[in-house]
Amino acid sequence: MDPNRYANLTGLTRRTFLGRVGEGLGVGLGSIALASLMGESHALGATGREGRAPTNPLAPRPPHFRARAKAVISIHLAGSPSQHELFENKPVLTKHHGQPCPDEYLKGEQFAFIKGHPTLLRCLYDFQRHGTSGMEMSSLLPHLGSVADELCMLKAVKTDQFNHAPAQLLLWTGDARFGHPSMGSWLTYGLGSEANDLPGFVVLVSGDKTPDAGKSVWGSGFLPSVHQGVQCRASGAPVLYVNDPPGIDRAARRRMLDAVNDLNRIEAERSRDPETLTRIAQYELAYRMQMSVPDAMDITREPPEILEEYGAVPGQGSIASSCLLARRLVERGVRFVQIFDWGWDGHGTGPNDDLVTQLPKKCGEMDRPVAALIRDLKRRGLLDETLVTWGGEFGRTPVAEFRDGKKDFLGRDHHPHAFTMLMAGGGVKGGFTYGETDDLGYFATKDPIPVNDLQATILHLLGLDHQRLTYFHSGLNQRLTGVTKPSRVHESLLA
Amino acid sequence: MFVDRKAIGTPQRVGRALLVASIVVLCVLGGRFAESRSDGGVEPVSFDREIRPVLAGMCLRCHGGVRELAGLHLGDPTRASAPDGKGRIAIVPGESEASELMHRITAPAGKRMPPDGEPLSPRQVEAFRRWIDQGAHWTDLWSLTPLASIRTPTVRATAWARTPMDRIVLAGLERVGLGPAPEADAATLLRRLSLDLIGLPPSVAQLDAFLADREPGAYERVVNELLASPRFGERWARPWLDLARYADTQGYEKDGRRTIWAYRDWLIRALNEDMPYDRLVTAQIAGDLLPDATDDDRIATAFHRNTLTNTEGGTDNEEFRMAAVFDRVAVTWTGLLGTTFHCAQCHSHPYDAFTQEDYYRFVAFFDQTADADRDDESPTITVRSPGFRERSEETTTVPVMRDLPEGERRVTHFLERGSLKKPKHEVTPDTPACMPPFPADAPRNRLGLARWMTSPTNPLFARVGANRVWETIFGRGIVESVEDFGSQGTWPGDRALIDHLALRFVQLNFSTKALVREIVLSSTYRQSSSSGRESQERDPDNRLLSRSPRYRLEAEAIRDSALAVSGLLSDRMYGPSVMPPQPEGVWSIVYSDDRWSVSEGEDRYRRGIYTFWRRSSPHPALIAFDAPSRETCTPRRSRSNSPLAALVTMNDPAMIEAAQALAAAVANLPTEGRGAQADRTRLATLLRRTLFREARATELDLLSALLDDERDRFSGDRAAATAMAGRDDPNLAAWTSVASVILNLDEFLSRA
Repeated sequence: MDPNRYANLTGLTRRTFLGRVGEGLGVGLGSIALASLMGESHALGATGREGRAPTNPLAPRPPHFRARAKAVISIHLAGSPSQHELFENKPVLTKHHGQPCPDEYLKGEQFAFIKGHPTLLRCLYDFQRHGTSGMEMSSLLPHLGSVADELCMLKAVKTDQFNHAPAQLLLWTGDARFGHPSMGSWLTYGLGSEANDLPGFVVLVSGDKTPDAGKSVWGSGFLPSVHQGVQCRASGAPVLYVNDPPGIDRAARRRMLDAVNDLNRIEAERSRDPETLTRIAQYELAYRMQMSVPDAMDITREPPEILEEYGAVPGQGSIASSCLLARRLVERGVRFVQIFDWGWDGHGTGPNDDLVTQLPKKCGEMDRPVAALIRDLKRRGLLDETLVTWGGEFGRTPVAEFRDGKKDFLGRDHHPHAFTMLMAGGGVKGGFTYGETDDLGYFATKDPIPVNDLQATILHLLGLDHQRLTYFHSGLNQRLTGVTKPSRVHESLLA
Repeated sequence: MFVDRKAIGTPQRVGRALLVASIVVLCVLGGRFAESRSDGGVEPVSFDREIRPVLAGMCLRCHGGVRELAGLHLGDPTRASAPDGKGRIAIVPGESEASELMHRITAPAGKRMPPDGEPLSPRQVEAFRRWIDQGAHWTDLWSLTPLASIRTPTVRATAWARTPMDRIVLAGLERVGLGPAPEADAATLLRRLSLDLIGLPPSVAQLDAFLADREPGAYERVVNELLASPRFGERWARPWLDLARYADTQGYEKDGRRTIWAYRDWLIRALNEDMPYDRLVTAQIAGDLLPDATDDDRIATAFHRNTLTNTEGGTDNEEFRMAAVFDRVAVTWTGLLGTTFHCAQCHSHPYDAFTQEDYYRFVAFFDQTADADRDDESPTITVRSPGFRERSEETTTVPVMRDLPEGERRVTHFLERGSLKKPKHEVTPDTPACMPPFPADAPRNRLGLARWMTSPTNPLFARVGANRVWETIFGRGIVESVEDFGSQGTWPGDRALIDHLALRFVQLNFSTKALVREIVLSSTYRQSSSSGRESQERDPDNRLLSRSPRYRLEAEAIRDSALAVSGLLSDRMYGPSVMPPQPEGVWSIVYSDDRWSVSEGEDRYRRGIYTFWRRSSPHPALIAFDAPSRETCTPRRSRSNSPLAALVTMNDPAMIEAAQALAAAVANLPTEGRGAQADRTRLATLLRRTLFREARATELDLLSALLDDERDRFSGDRAAATAMAGRDDPNLAAWTSVASVILNLDEFLSRA
């Protein structure tokens, strides 16, 4: 057939369609059609029920006030690393090592696993001071130590959950129960996405292993489901179903898509349903994602020295790859990159979850790429506008676990009262330590940050007031930080 | 705001209820006229329309059930009119000048209420002034007023209205000078009916038969056939399973498997048998307590055994047992009574008249069951499957509700701020004070509770149930917030419409099928979804129903439709959940080595409702179309329109397989004519099989061009042809591309 025939036909259809909507449907629908055809789906005047453009709920929206950060990379060490082995240099704990934990600490205390009266366990590693700030970290974190002056260390973070799934939910959704939107969902709901052809909220999981609380830690809860996190994977298709089926090449896909969209335009003209126009825009976005996602996810495009700096090996799906990918995604306008790494639940029931073998192994995998990420962001001028957060869902006890009385391996139980998290860039102070714990590192003694405060502070850094970022659901204006709990922004962290 | 408990059951209460009911009817019928009249200052202020929303939106957050700042509770008429320590009274009925509230809402900034945000508008201030001067009459929330019969409104286009429901809808349209849309054509109606009633498109044979049936009553006949189809229960079980948070795993960290599909089968069967809605709910709340309870009655109670079980090491069983009890209370109220009752778990309800005491008394009904967050899910029973009991001796287990024996009963405590660590006084089972009283002769257990819930005097039960039926058909409830009929919920689009439907539900003895039938036989239902300019401009959201709603199908229906039109769909019903293909690695979860093992044979092609549901990782093709995780009660799904969904219909191997089957069915159909003409005939057949209508010339032009292009490409690339068609056949491969295009059309994915 005449190779131009198809092009002529489709061109004709589009012109006819636009001409007719101009006459028949009024300006509103016609302009939506035009805008979505021109790829300007966010530039619409028409708005949906929540004041959002109907064809693009992820269109960028202004913050409540000047934002310090535009994007977040969160590194979640699922299972929760021991703050005692990494950050808490406590001579008193060392001195009383092996003694029974004083009674006053145990009043009303409930452990996940420890039974009977536990004994104190000192830190197994040496500490060093780093940078001009003299921030203290243990010998397990030499690389992080080298970027200490960029780090803001929160030593008194608190949660009220001591089981993994509820604690992860509380940290990421503001509520220990299922059904609430995650932080990344709130952010794309509040700010939209700057990424034209990538999801605004991307999740990277080491080894593609879903964390304890399942996909709900990046779920959209009661927010519209376009705000849920999209898991980009190291193996198989980088986003589920992103690859064309065997036998369909790019040109064929384009032709098929043109046919879909042309037929959809005919339907839109007939039905006058704006959703049909939205679908055309979403199919175009899907088409672009088919190229842009594999491109963004392909770390072989990085120069060898960068791969080396991160310690990333293409195809491995390690935390090193995740850190490098996070930088690539943030560069491309992704709002929130949520990294999950697992294997940090150091109970000491065997060599795979203890403080002597497993923790150094995990630190070895994590320390270098996280430090590389911070340096790399800084080199590229992205650190100022990118907030990096690091930590588990809770801490570990200053006492040994010795499950079932066995003392072959050293480990610690879950500890909600005080634990350490790190932040960097994005408008927080560098080389700054905030909050204190008591001599045993058991309870917070100064500047405690409940995780809801942490959320309020992160939102603040992104220019959002946690009290004003609301969504009406179940009879209430819901917030990330909860509807009743009084949360606050910790101003002292702000640079 | 609500009737005081002491008054319930007294003659005054009944008299007041009747009065309220009649006022409501008058308001509903006359309200819109009243609004349009010029305001002479004597027009009674509507508490519900003008006062309640302002109180709820601007005042109750600080002066309501949660905080009561300055000792003021503006959700309670008695307390709002009681003097404070300094002798000031917020609301003095009849005397706006003496009312502190008026002074505070008009005070200069700094002293003004609310203290931050926008002040009340002059119009709102004026409404308060007049409302107080008129005596400050508080009326019950609309949803808590007794159901009363609606006087069918007078309409002009009487010929259009087939049913009283139509007259109510028409009156709404005529009030704003709109008329209904014309009736949809027969093919559209058949597809719509089929999707709405059985969740599947019709077959071409059904379409031909329907178009050929010129006898009167053809429409009614097809409705009756669809209602009698065993597919009906499969379609109508879907929204209920979301509400019941039904899944095949336990949830939380380990998310291990749970065998509970017998409940799903019971539900499908009960819906097919049209078990009356009150009976259906009673069985699920308290089937085990029914006199002469059958296996089916006990299986039904698995409804509330769909709660999550946390087997994560070190979890405190009592904590998660209570979490399950709280969840049962929340689902009972949210799902069945449309109330955010769970708000009262930590403090009295901020907006509605439920106290924290009410909450824990209600908890006491659910606090006596023997289950306790155990890995073995006990208590369970072993039953023959409700689905194929007649055909098979095979048994399965199912977790059930069972009360603890006398002597082992728990004592339920009021928990301060909802904390297990802060138990206060003991409470005994009771229902909230602002609702009709618990039946005097009913046992104080779940069975008595079910009687109270399903009683025709319960103002919420029929309204919420009827609204869900409406939502399942029209895609949006008359009360859009199907889960919240409280003061913070959305106001019903048409008060008379929801009350009429609820009343009909009661009069039809809660027959779901009869109510569905009444709705789909109406002229309202039969309208076209293509809107005229006037309908689009004056009723853009279609709240007045000036046309038939058009909306994207739910996740399961998209899968089912693709399988149905391609001839792949299995009609096997019931049994253990199945695992159709999903991408590798989706089920890779920390602390679990459970594997997705793809089902074989026709189990690959079962309806979506039979797909295995893992809470931490539901089937990704379903999630892309807004299927929930089923960790919590989901009374309604969102309906997103996202690129991820587009990728599923474009690239999911299941969708490609459907396209291949469609292609195989039409590519070599014998037709008259040859070459391009034969292609056009076959394309028209393809469109008729998938979209159930005749093709338009432009569409055939477009698709022929694509077919030619793809044929050329595949002829030159036989490897690609083999990959696409499953065999070395460029023609079939080209048809597969075209079929895939059709399965991606908005029209195919939508109900119109």
